[in-house]
Amino acid sequence: MAIIERPLAIGAGDEAGATADRPLGDLTRPKQSDSWKDWLSTVDHKKIGIMYGVAAMFFFVIGGAEALLIRLQLATPNGTLLSPEVYNQVFTMHGVTMIFLVIMPLAAAFANYLLPLQIGARDVAFPRMNALSFWVFLFGGLFLNSAWLLGGGADGGWFNYSPNSSVTFSPSHGIDFYALGLQITGIASLVSAINLITTVLNMRPKGMSMFRMPIFTWMNLVVQFLLLFAVPVISVALFELTFDRLFGANFFNTEKGADPLLWQHLFWIFGHPEVYILILPSFGIISEVIPTFSRKPIFGYSFMVFSGIAIGFMGWGVWAHHMFVSGIGPISVAAFSLSTMFIAVPTGVKILNWLATIWGGRLRFTTAMLFAVGVVSMFTIGGLSGVTHSIAPADTQQTDTYYIVAHFHYVIFGGALLGIFSGFYFWWPKMFGYMLNERIGKWNFWLQIVGFNVTFGPMHILGLQGMSRRIDTYDEDFGFEFWNLVATVGSFIIAAGIAIFFYNIAYSRKEWKKAGMPNPGPDPWDARSLEWMTASPTPEHNFDEDIIVESQDEFWHRKYGYDENNNVVRIATAEEVAQDGSNHNVHLPSPSYFPIVLSLGLPIVAYGLIYSLWLCIPGAALIIYGMVGWIFEHPDDPNAAHDHHDDHGDDDDPDAVEAGDVDVDEVVAEAELVGAGAETEADNG
Amino acid sequence: MTTMSPSIRKAARLLAVVAATLLLASCANDAELTTLGQDNLAGPEARQIDSFLTWVLWIAYAVFAGVLFVTIYAWKNFGISGDDYEEDDWPEQIHGNDTLEYAWTAAPALLLLGIGLYTLTVHNSLNSEDSNPVNVTVAGESIAWEPQVVVVGQQWWWEYQYHFGDVDVDQERVQTLPTPDISTATQMVIPIGQEIELEITSRDVIHSHWIPSLNGKRDAVPGRQSAPWKIEADEPGVYFGQCTEFCGLSHSRMRMQVIALEPADFQEWINSQMEGVPLDAESAAYVDALVAGDTPAPENSTQRAISTFRGKCASCHLMEGVAEDLWSEEAVARQLVSGAAPNLTHFSSRTTFGGGIRNVWDPETKEFNKNDVAQWLRDPDSIKANYTDPVSDDDMRMRGMPNLELSTQEVDDLVALLELTGPKPSDFIISETGVETPGSEENAQGE
Repeated sequence: MAIIERPLAIGAGDEAGATADRPLGDLTRPKQSDSWKDWLSTVDHKKIGIMYGVAAMFFFVIGGAEALLIRLQLATPNGTLLSPEVYNQVFTMHGVTMIFLVIMPLAAAFANYLLPLQIGARDVAFPRMNALSFWVFLFGGLFLNSAWLLGGGADGGWFNYSPNSSVTFSPSHGIDFYALGLQITGIASLVSAINLITTVLNMRPKGMSMFRMPIFTWMNLVVQFLLLFAVPVISVALFELTFDRLFGANFFNTEKGADPLLWQHLFWIFGHPEVYILILPSFGIISEVIPTFSRKPIFGYSFMVFSGIAIGFMGWGVWAHHMFVSGIGPISVAAFSLSTMFIAVPTGVKILNWLATIWGGRLRFTTAMLFAVGVVSMFTIGGLSGVTHSIAPADTQQTDTYYIVAHFHYVIFGGALLGIFSGFYFWWPKMFGYMLNERIGKWNFWLQIVGFNVTFGPMHILGLQGMSRRIDTYDEDFGFEFWNLVATVGSFIIAAGIAIFFYNIAYSRKEWKKAGMPNPGPDPWDARSLEWMTASPTPEHNFDEDIIVESQDEFWHRKYGYDENNNVVRIATAEEVAQDGSNHNVHLPSPSYFPIVLSLGLPIVAYGLIYSLWLCIPGAALIIYGMVGWIFEHPDDPNAAHDHHDDHGDDDDPDAVEAGDVDVDEVVAEAELVGAGAETEADNG
Repeated sequence: MTTMSPSIRKAARLLAVVAATLLLASCANDAELTTLGQDNLAGPEARQIDSFLTWVLWIAYAVFAGVLFVTIYAWKNFGISGDDYEEDDWPEQIHGNDTLEYAWTAAPALLLLGIGLYTLTVHNSLNSEDSNPVNVTVAGESIAWEPQVVVVGQQWWWEYQYHFGDVDVDQERVQTLPTPDISTATQMVIPIGQEIELEITSRDVIHSHWIPSLNGKRDAVPGRQSAPWKIEADEPGVYFGQCTEFCGLSHSRMRMQVIALEPADFQEWINSQMEGVPLDAESAAYVDALVAGDTPAPENSTQRAISTFRGKCASCHLMEGVAEDLWSEEAVARQLVSGAAPNLTHFSSRTTFGGGIRNVWDPETKEFNKNDVAQWLRDPDSIKANYTDPVSDDDMRMRGMPNLELSTQEVDDLVALLELTGPKPSDFIISETGVETPGSEENAQGE
């Protein structure tokens, strides 16, 4: 496996590295260290994954505060907390933040951390590009939110329909920040998509065929392909919008004869696959959690994989269901109505397979499992309400009402976010080496799920009662007051649940340190896939040696086999099977400052486009400097290339041991010991 | 899991109570905008959608109940609490079952196929035209009117145009249509029992026209005449609506009503709309003098109002019999982004103004609502948020009603003139409309 091009920094002698270290004469190729600075230059997929998570949770707090403002404004009729102007900015930024800066990067956090581990790789295919996508995302998100300090956020809704998004109708710079900010985060998504697709396709170790990959990896692979094809569409639309607004182009200028539906088509051709980009990673997460805590393999692995792929394909053929009342014509409406209905089929198959996995299992309702089962039932509600508005005639009543708000929150909160929380509780020990407290976790879960239903359940009723979306006020005699008040109460219950999650992190970490609690071990949940086959927290090099994969759920099959009556019997403990992370002679990619340097240039150019084109020059210079430095950056130990090592296993050997060079025979022999069960399994796969 | 079962039972009971409350609440009828319940709906289209949705919702409830049942059953029967967990207790390792998979792929597909086919029939019926000509008398001439209303959205009010002449509005963009025979703002008047075809479009951004109790919504897209949409009301009454496509600052305050009348009342309404403002002879002569270019001094409140209107309002608002000589579409387009302001010739024949959010007539006393009309003239922004500045330094057009900084005297005079426009709607319509007006008492005290 492992086409890792650059060796780990091992403190090569000055004379060897002096020139190679300084490709452009100033930025030294950083060395691995424990200081905080290491986070700025790291190319380790795990650290990048964690940074994605931290940044996304930061934006989550901002987006959540915006949500609470919306709910406070709507708690009573004729709310006056926010002016219409500010309200329009708040709901726009809430949507944009939660979709682009919270759910997508949280999914990216898990994908970054777990994809290499789940397929048994040491890192992603392009580690510096991985750092680049994180920094670009972070600076894009900060740039987008900096609009709050510079005259107000975007006020056109996350969907930002033209011509309301033109300078005439939105003269402040909010929508410029929207267009450029999403352009920047789009670059992050594209880079990351290419990186992760390459990783999954090229970096699987021996035996890890596509149909032995965990479902989480599969779903993320589908998502990365969706991103690869969807992001360019929104990029084009955003470029057009930017040129309209900043340079007087006429792509969307209806006064000059533009068709406003152009934006709608472009936006939703991106926007509908985007929905699956948000939800599929969570489908992947709970497809790992549910089998583990049911003590059963996933039911219908291949149907799970192919339904995910089917969703990925069908997701491209349904975008115009967002436009049933835009006047696209009755034939188009009928066609998109039917195509939308049928996307419910693969989704339904997934739900039934999760239920079949639970059925007859030995269910441990840990917090992770509670969240996962929560996804199954809450997403079902979102899916079913989705079917009701695939019915075009019904959608003419429902669209742009709170019924839709309820629907997509059941999908994005009830599906995607609850799944991500399931992932937090499940993989926390693997990521940080301590368990989150289960008792507090249950409080977290119940508050969140109760609050969620109290908030968004009533919105179904409000929508059918005729409450429009994106209104900052409503009259007393519309009959909206009661359920709006209930929803506001619910939103604060959610906030309490989230606060408890943060408390749980602090509490669990403190307790774990104070009590000197033991390391949770490589496999605290008796889990099934490869990421549990190494120490917790994951050592920097992931695996001491390459894993030869013989079946789906490889790790489980190394721990368990079957006796003659086909009963499960343990053949090894997790500790015996797992690698202890003690191999310190592994080549790893060296850190680099150039990803962050290059990324920093992007928001500077964007500010320049808005305020003064002169500012684009230093921004562009920084980008070019980043690129050139990147290209000429050498490994800090040029001697430590793959073919220079002589003998492995020797701790004093200055050359690292590439994992592919581990004695394969030894590993195979070990794998054979796992027994007959593994072979049966391989046949099934 | 025995310890769990009482709490599950409790949770199930709670769920049942919540579900029952939800059902009751969704049937409650204090919502003017509701889309639910055959009795709350007033048009055949809305009822058709509702009855279809109702049975689809029942299927959805059943599916969800199934999922929930399996989940709770599994929880009760297969759940193991921490203490009972045994390391070597493994269930049968089932990897799947192809027959089951094919079955539960096919079953929802077939169910959805059924729903899909029925969707197509409903969709087809909602999109087919089936209107009959209505015999109306316009300016003494009897004509067979293809019942058709041009609906034009702009920030943040609706215009309804009636063209009785031979105009194929399908083919025309709103800017190129001839001046309508009747133009109203915020309130569409239709005869009952007739399918009315709506030609919906916009002058600025995208809006969406929605009268929930009559039919679903249809976007108003600038530069486009939407595919035809229709509404029909069974009974005389007032049916409320709200713009449902986000259209900028005062989107929430862009509302409208449909007033459905008996055919005879509808004819009377047409007659009244064809006339100008009913001025007395002296004021009419005063207008004539102003039109001729003289500048006679106003002698009373009406004449002062006429003078003010011609000076400050007439370049945007049309008022026939008072200032039509000063009004032209080109002049409005120079002043306003949307290029249109409500026609005020029959202002007080309507029951709401300001985007359908304030009463023209007090629903209780049936008196002209001087307070709110005066407040609007004094400070429109305090009723409906407007951009108070022009678009930009280069583009001096306004969006929405500017504050004209009228004196108290001017406001009082204009209020009286607006009351005069008429004719006053029936008490039934006034009391049926009655929109909620926040803080109007407070304003009354401020007077």
